[in-house]
This record gives sequence, C-alpha cells and structure tokens, in this order.
Amino acid sequence: MGRKSQKNDSLPGSLDMLILRTLSLRDLHGYGIVQFIQQSSDNELLVEEGSLYPALQRLELNAWIDGVWGVTPNNRRARIYKITAAGRKQLAIETRKYAKLTLAIARVMGTE
Amino acid sequence: MLRRLKYWMDSSRRSEALREEMELHLAEKAAELQADGMMPECARAEARRRFGNIGQKQEESREIWMTRFLSELGQDFRYGCRAMAGNKAFTALAVLSLALGIGANTAIYSLMEAILLRSLPVADPESLVVLNWHGRRPREGGEDWVIHGLQGLFWPGDKGDLVSGIFPYPAFETLREENPVFSTLFGYFNGRNHNLAVHAQAASASAEYITGEYFRGLGVSPAAGRLIESEDDRPGAAPVVVISFATSQNRFGGPPSAIGQAVLVDNVPFTVIGVAPPEFFGVDPAAASDLYLPLHTNVLVDGARAARMYPDGNFYWLEMMGRLRPGVSMAQAQAALAPRFHQWVATTAKTEGERAKLPALTLNPGAEGLGGLRRQYSKPLYVLLAMVGLILAITCANIANLLLARAAARRREMAVRLSLGAGRLRVVRQLLTESVMLASLGGAVGVLFAVWGMRTLAFLLSNGQRNLALHVELNWSVLGVTAALSVVCGLLFGLAPAIQSTRPDVIPALKNQSGGGPRRRAQHLLVIAQIAISFLILVAAGLFVRTLNHLHSVQLGYARENILLFSLNARQAGHRDPEIVTFYADLRKRFESIPGVSSATLSNSSIINAGRAGAAIRGEMKVGAVTIDGAGVLAAGPHFLTTMRIPILVGREIDERDQPGSTPVAVISERLAQTYFGNENPVGRRITAVDEERDLEIIGVSANLRYGGLKEEEASSMTMFVAVSQFSADRVTYALRTAGDPLGYVKSVREIVREADSRIPVTNVVTQAEEIDRTISRELLFAKLCTGFAVLALLIACVGLYGTMSYSVARQVGEIGIRMALGAQRGAVVWMVLRRVLLLAAVGLAISVPAALSASQLVKSFLFETQPNDPGTLALAGVVLLSAAILAGYAPARRASRIDPLAALRQE
Repeated sequence: MGRKSQKNDSLPGSLDMLILRTLSLRDLHGYGIVQFIQQSSDNELLVEEGSLYPALQRLELNAWIDGVWGVTPNNRRARIYKITAAGRKQLAIETRKYAKLTLAIARVMGTE
Repeated sequence: MLRRLKYWMDSSRRSEALREEMELHLAEKAAELQADGMMPECARAEARRRFGNIGQKQEESREIWMTRFLSELGQDFRYGCRAMAGNKAFTALAVLSLALGIGANTAIYSLMEAILLRSLPVADPESLVVLNWHGRRPREGGEDWVIHGLQGLFWPGDKGDLVSGIFPYPAFETLREENPVFSTLFGYFNGRNHNLAVHAQAASASAEYITGEYFRGLGVSPAAGRLIESEDDRPGAAPVVVISFATSQNRFGGPPSAIGQAVLVDNVPFTVIGVAPPEFFGVDPAAASDLYLPLHTNVLVDGARAARMYPDGNFYWLEMMGRLRPGVSMAQAQAALAPRFHQWVATTAKTEGERAKLPALTLNPGAEGLGGLRRQYSKPLYVLLAMVGLILAITCANIANLLLARAAARRREMAVRLSLGAGRLRVVRQLLTESVMLASLGGAVGVLFAVWGMRTLAFLLSNGQRNLALHVELNWSVLGVTAALSVVCGLLFGLAPAIQSTRPDVIPALKNQSGGGPRRRAQHLLVIAQIAISFLILVAAGLFVRTLNHLHSVQLGYARENILLFSLNARQAGHRDPEIVTFYADLRKRFESIPGVSSATLSNSSIINAGRAGAAIRGEMKVGAVTIDGAGVLAAGPHFLTTMRIPILVGREIDERDQPGSTPVAVISERLAQTYFGNENPVGRRITAVDEERDLEIIGVSANLRYGGLKEEEASSMTMFVAVSQFSADRVTYALRTAGDPLGYVKSVREIVREADSRIPVTNVVTQAEEIDRTISRELLFAKLCTGFAVLALLIACVGLYGTMSYSVARQVGEIGIRMALGAQRGAVVWMVLRRVLLLAAVGLAISVPAALSASQLVKSFLFETQPNDPGTLALAGVVLLSAAILAGYAPARRASRIDPLAALRQE
C-alpha cells in the first residue's frame, strides 16, 4: 500500500463524494464501488478498501444512499447501494465545494 | 435521532450484515487477484492486506450508528466490572470504607435534621412564634421574686439570665385580648402521663392540655370528627378529648370508630370528639401527645390544686404560641407585646424586691416547635457530626491512597494498552469510569448503612422514651452531598495517576522500572493524615469510655443487678386515701409471693430518679432548731433496705409495723446521722417535718448511698427514708429482688396487677441496671459510638498503611533482594520496613497531639471526672495507634523478609 489513498487524507470527506458520484451513475455493491473508483481514475486513486464500509454506513445513516440486498454480476448475495434524492443534492454541494477548493489550490500553485 | 435509535436497536443484525459484506468483498478481491495469476493462498492474504484492519473497520462502522460514547461506556463498564471482580480485596476495602463513611455521615446528619431543623407538620409553620420570658435569676436564700411558684421548665440564657416559656394564666388572657399582631394566640402545657381507660382496658397515655384556640392556631384539620374549639375550653363545659392518630389505631381500631366513645382519663369520664392527623405530634417533638384535653378540664383531672392556678398571677405554668398576622414580622410583634407584658407583670409585683427584676417577654421562631430536644441534643450531635466528618475525611484519603497504589500497580497494563494503540483519552476515561463505579457502589452500600445507622441512633437517642416524635427520614440531599464528595475524591485521585500513567513515554513502564516519586510522597501524606485523624477519634473515644467507666464505678451504695422496677398509679384509677395505702401494701405482699422473688418493696421513686421525681416531703426538716440542709428524702415501703442491699448499721428498717396510724418513723443514712447527731446514737431521736406538722422518730441508720443521679455531688449521700404508708404517695415504684433475669417476672407482675385492678396500667417496667444506665444514656451513647468510630477509623487507617507499605515493598523487591544477597538478615529487612511505618505514625502523632489537646476542650462538658487532656488516655491512644500501625506494617515487612534474593534479582 505504498501509493495508498493519499487524496483521502489530504481532503477529508472526498471518499464520500467519490462514492456518491459512483452511485449517481449506477447502483453498485461495496466491491463494485472500489473497482469503479480505481478503474475510472486509471488506478491513480487507491481507496483503502476497509475504509469504504464505515463510509457507506455513514452515508446510509445520513440517508444519502440506500442499501438493499440483491445479487452481484457473479450471482452472489450482496448489499446493493443506490443514491437517494438527498444524496444527489449532497453530491451537488460537494462537487461545488470541491471545484472551489481545487481552483483555489491551482491558483496558489500557479502563482508560485 | 429516531433513525439513529432504530439503527442502534437492530445493531446485531446490522453488524452481521456488515460482516457478510466485508467477507464478500475479500472473496471478490481474492478471486480477482487469482484471475491475475496469483496463488489462492497469496491472493487471500493480499486481499486482506489491502483491506486493512478488518476488526477496526468493523468497529468504526459500528460506531457510526451506535454512538461511540455509549458503546465505549458499555465497554468501560464491563471492563470495570472485570477489574473489580479481579481484585476483590481492593474492591471490598474501597467499597466498605466508602460505605461506612457515607453511611455514618448521612445517618448523623439526617438525625440532626430531624431534631434540629425540621418544621412542625402544621400549616405555614413559619408564621408561628413561641413566647418566652427572660429575667434575672434570684440569688440563693429566698430573695424576692415575682414568680412565687411554677410548673414547667426553665433553662439558662445569656449573661446568667433565666429563660422560660411558662406564664401565669392571667398573662395569657391579657395578651389574648385585642391582639394586633397575632391572628391567634394559644396556650398549652404538658399534662404528663395519665391513665386512659377504654372499654375498661387501662393504659398510660401522655396528655397535653390545650386552650380552645390551639388547633385553629396551628391550622390542623382532624383525621376524623372535630377538634377542640373555644366552647370546649370553659369551666363547666362537657369534658371532651381529641386523641392522636396512633392512639385511635391502638386503642379503638381506627379513627372512625373512636368518635363518640366514652373513655376515662384518670377515672374522669370524657368523650372522644376527634382524631388528630397522623403526622401531628403536638408542638414539642420530644413529647408526642396521645391525648389533647381542653385546658380547663385539668380542674377535673388534677383536682383543686389546678383550680387555684387560674387566677394566680404569680404562678407560672402555661406555655404560649402565637400565629403572626400576615405582614407582621416577629420583631414588630415583640415591640408590640413586650410593653404590654411588662405593664401586666408590674401589677403582679408586690414588693420592691420583686419589682426590681421583672421577667421580660421575648419572641422566638416557633416553626420547629419547642426547643427542648434541640437544647438537649444539639451539642452532642455537633460533636458526632464532627466525628463522622473526620471519618469521611479518612475514607476519602483511603480511597485516594488505594487508587494511587493501584494506579502504580497498573502502570504496566496502561503502558501495554497505550503501546497497542489505545487512545490516551480513552484510557483515562476508562480509569475514571472505574473510580466512579467504585464510588457509586460505595454510595449504594452507604445508603444501607445510613438507614440502619439512623434507626439505631434514633433508638439510642430516644432512650426508651415512648413518645419521642423523631420522624427520622433518610436525608437524600445529604446522601447526595456525601456521595458526590466521595465520587469527586475518586475522580480527583483516580485522575491524577491516570493522566500520569498515560503520558506518552511508556517505555520505562514497560520495562517495569519503578518511578513515581511524587506519587509515593502523596501516599505518605495521605497515610500521615489518616493516622493523625484516627488519633483524634481514638482520644475522643478514650475520653468517653473513661467517663463511662468513672460513671459505672460510682459507688451506688445499693444493688444494681437482679432488681425489677415498675410503676403504678392507683390514684389515677380512682383509689383514694386511706384505702390506697392498703391497696399498695397488699400488692407488695402478692409480688413477694411470686416464686423466685426474694423480696419486694415500693418507694415514691426509683433511687436514681429520686432527685427529679420531687421530694416525698415538702418543706423544711429540722433536728430541734437546726434545719437539715441538702438531704434527700425517699418514701419507702417495708424491706426497702433489704431489697436494695443497703446495710442497716443501727436499729431497724421500715417494715410492716409502720402503719398510717402508728408513730411516723424515719431511717437516716450514716452521713446524715454524723452531720446532725455527731457520735451520738440517733435512734429514738426526732426529726420535725415543718410543713407536715409531724415529728418523725428515727428508728435506724443505714449505710451511705447515692441519692439521685450519678453525676450529683457527694453531699447527696445524706438520705432520709420515711414510710410510704405514712406519707401518701400518688405514683409508686415497686422494686422486686429476683433470681435470674428480672424481666422474666414481668408477666406475673402484670397478671397480679390486672387481678387486683384492671384499670391500673403497669408502666415504666425496667431493670434497675437499665434505669441507672438511662440516666447516663448520653455518655453510653457517646462511648459506644465513639468506640465504634475509633475502631472504624483505625481500621481504615491501617488499610491505608498496609496498602502503602505493600506497594513500597513491591517496588523495592530488587533492592531488598540485593541487600539480602549481600547478607542482610531477615530481621534487618523487617526492621527496614517497620521503621518507615513507625516514622509515618510518629509524624502523624506529632501533628495530632496538639490538635487533640485543643479539640478535647470542646467536649469537656460531656466528661465526668475526666480531664480533657487526660494523659493516660492520650498515652493509651498513642499506644493503640502505634500497635495497629505495626500490625498493619508487619505483613508487608514479613513479605519483604521472605523475598528470595535470586528470584528478585532475576526479575530485575
């Protein structure tokens, strides 16, 4: 885990945003979410896999996502998560915040 | 919140689901890795590695829905329980000492509140005021005084004044008229015990005579029937009585069935018209009444003497209370009434001497009722309170000490937990949870101790007085304060070592190196404080026990054991002269015929109470022209001296020959004989009873005996016995000399009395020894309690000492091992430890001795023939303390001497 999810450490809460973003595209189970994030970031973002589950619980408690028992593509029983309306709203907020933050960082980096 | 709760509710299902999800995750990851060409074993391991700490993640996830605090509290609690169960000795010691400290404090304070601070159970007690007067005490030798006679109590006030609450009836009438400051003014006096016959069953009942405004003024409503009103309290009104709730239950089977019943009070017919409410006990918590009689009915019950009291402006007997009108302060009321009383009392003064020192009216708050009990018990209670306060201090010190020692013992455990990644705050919190648990447990057991202690104390204080209305209840606020104190103490002393032992530098602790100098100093200070306080309590206990010993070793001059006493009052049941004399004499003969009773006699009072019961003969006594000064008179029946084992030196004792018609006789004590007859034989000489207009012939001389209380002066051994048959007594006390336990004969006595006259109740049944002990009940109580406290304090201090020494020995195992390896003898090692014990004890004593010397002055008034700084007591307390300290230190010292040098060094 040499190149572990450094982004998660420097930007707390970004894992939540990534999960919400992933689920806004399609319903997935836990492992699927990890895979999707890694693949779509060209393996740049390595999610510490264990950290996913506390995050999922937190999101579910806030009613931003909803988990139901379903079946994976490999025909195994799993909890499939889908985003809720509140979750989409939250995603929009987080995205705006993230955009602001990256812009600000880019400016700082640019002036140097 | 609701959502959270729901999550929490089905937490077990959720954690199951979570586990399944995580397993699936791992399986899929492993499958993927395998597909990339990894061996199955390696794939599974790699999947786990990438996942991170499964347990921790599971925990984190769980915390999301189960609030972290609750779950950790649960853990702490469970862990605390395990820790407490794992160290039973520590837990038991800590809980026990806490419980005793908390319990003793709560009990004493609750009792104090009941006696000193509780309000009367009546409407708006705050607006009640008690009327008192204060005035200069007349000098000895019959100086003129406006008070010619009195019936009631007075007590010393400021600057040598006398204070009292009794007034002449005309004063009551004067103040009652057009009173601008009181809405009601009412009077009452304690009628003492009377014979109450219900359905021909007689029993003794305490009575309060009250004016018609009494119940209205107090604002009491009846439990049944109606209460006494002004119309009932007139000369010639139909005699009615209000009874207490308890009496209605005991004698009538409930309030409703009592109403309208005819009863006899001292053989005078009364009608029960009402029942007082259950919580009502009158105005004096020390004398709860069974009967409330209209004031003027005392003429019917007490006879002509009572009738003379009403018009007499110089006879003081009636107590008064008033209820302030709304908006009137006590000061205003006093300003209004004091001149009126002064004006009135001036008219009753007949000479210049009387006018010179008239009593002046003062008002006092009446919310708490009369202050008799308060005056009697407030100082002893404060002393007790101070003592239990000290015990609590020792307890807290002990808890602190135990926690400090344990924290030291757990340094390693803490270090292990910290190095395994436990949060520092988490560890501290866990230690605190344990402290608080300990304190709470101690508090809970303390409640039990408090309840038990309170009952015992109330019983001891009431001292056999049936009508002491001590409504003692557990005082929850006190309990709260004491419990909070011990919790705070637990927190404080749990926190310091907790923070210290969780500081980031865990390496030395893991290596089991000993450190913690300041902690050790703190422990030593605590032990010294404990020893100092224990010494104080030991000295107090020593002084009180010594006082008790002195009292017990007072030469009575008469028998203490194997005597049964009980009282009868035939006059209250309707017996009159001269028949009453033969009635009492016949009873005596029948008591004497009980198998096992070797002799029976009677007197107007028990010897120990003779001084208080009033003299058998009023007025002066003379030998020729010389007045006998300071002699006690006891009216005794036949064989009194034999029964009481008082030796007869010359002549004979009073016996059956001394009848009402025969020559009046007297037996005098040796000292009386020597004082007034010198070396002459007094038998055959005469003593004149001036007021009785009779000459008494001296028939014998008895040995000296102590007449009256144990604490009275030596002069009281001048005693004169007269024949009870020749000086008619109302109430008599019989004394039976028995084989074996005197109380075993009570049944036969009651049967005989019932046969003779079922209207006469047998009262005050007691053994002579108990009767004597009652007069020194306070000293007994103090000696018992203080001895208990001292043992307790010593025990707790020894526990502290033991704990400290054990800890320090445990820390010095290596050092001792080296010493022994180098040839130190066992004795030397024991001495090494004991020396430290003695040093601690000596420092404690050095602090405590001056404190004890000054503090013991405070209890001077409780002592009898014992100096507050009694060197013997101090020395004894010191010796006891040192021995206890050595005993407590010996076990660790012995353990130190048994250390195996090899094992000790290897451990190092």
